[in-house]
Amino acid sequence: MQFLEWLMSFDKKAIILSASAIGAGFAMIAGIGPGIGQGYAAGKGAEAVSYNPKGSKQATMVMLLGAAVAETSGILALVVALIMLFANPLVNLTGSGIVIAASAIGAGLSMIAGIGPGIGQGYAAGKGTEMVGKRPKHQSAIVRTMFLGQAVAQTTGIYALIIALVLMFANPLVRLL
Amino acid sequence: MEEGFGPKVIFDLWGIPVTETVVNTWIIMIILVVISLILTRGLKKVPKGKQNVAEALVESINNLTTQTMGEDKKAFSSYMGSLFLLLLFANLFGLIGLRPPTADINTTFAFAGLTFVMIHFFGARRKGIGKYLKGFLEPFPLLLPLNIMGELATPISLSFRLFGNIVGGIIVVSLLYGGLASLSAALGLANFPIFQAGIPVIFHMYFDLFAGVLQTFIFIMLSMVFISLAMD
Repeated sequence: MQFLEWLMSFDKKAIILSASAIGAGFAMIAGIGPGIGQGYAAGKGAEAVSYNPKGSKQATMVMLLGAAVAETSGILALVVALIMLFANPLVNLTGSGIVIAASAIGAGLSMIAGIGPGIGQGYAAGKGTEMVGKRPKHQSAIVRTMFLGQAVAQTTGIYALIIALVLMFANPLVRLL
Repeated sequence: MEEGFGPKVIFDLWGIPVTETVVNTWIIMIILVVISLILTRGLKKVPKGKQNVAEALVESINNLTTQTMGEDKKAFSSYMGSLFLLLLFANLFGLIGLRPPTADINTTFAFAGLTFVMIHFFGARRKGIGKYLKGFLEPFPLLLPLNIMGELATPISLSFRLFGNIVGGIIVVSLLYGGLASLSAALGLANFPIFQAGIPVIFHMYFDLFAGVLQTFIFIMLSMVFISLAMD
């Protein structure tokens, strides 16, 4: 209780800006996912090239493509963090300061969901690379299936992005107070 | 950094503000048109000189399209090739110090929206409207909302992936230049930007060259794969 009173003694904009800083930091925790996923893809790439050096060009290309898609969750989290830092839409919002501040933290926390798609898409990339290394002639069919699977895996990350953007740009909660 | 990292408005055209994004896109259009005119001047049946370059480029784009989408969809290569060249030049603009037009969500969302329209238009045209709409009820009719959300996720992820990569790159590079400038100033060399001469090259190579080319490739490949999957 005392903590809340102390918190409310600050200027409204200061509370919102501090919450934005916390939210931006939380959002980047999403970097865990692509790190693991791309590492798995890189490992599988090295394995594929060692088993079949003649297919190394195709295997490396598929590894790069898959890893770039696995990166998406980290990029979405970076976009949310950059918006909080450089184009903050919440600081001039009219309404209760603590609701807006909590929305900023919530938007940042929401992007942590990017860990999942990062790991999953990286796993798909690794398996795709491994198989293209084994059978380079089937590269286009393997890559198509890999992309399709990765796109489906991305959807929960997109849901998280939408919630974060709604909390930042079309905040429905300040009106309810 | 005072005004943020958004595109600056260059001038007003009949009350509509024209930003850096639009002006840079015009520059790319002019460059691409001039290159096309130069490369296709005086085409001969037996290629010589620059016609070899043009033919190699067109052939590689045709091969990429037929390999990814299938032989019967070769006609898409003209759109995919144009988009590839446009996005490539757009993403590499950071190398010459101009703001890449793809660092604006409007540009990337326009292209992703085009892909979205192509997916559903060609899918419906190839399969017939009834069969195409019924495809959304596969595998269970209860999954219809999830299928729709999955379809909407495609342009969102395409546009934000490209936008985020490019804008992240320009922010890191400009922060780096700012940091190097203040380092020079702290050493008393404020008018001699000596640190800004060599060190940023590596960052440019990663963020502009590598990431720019890779993201262009990803955008094109994903567009091709989604369109061909909708048509099959």
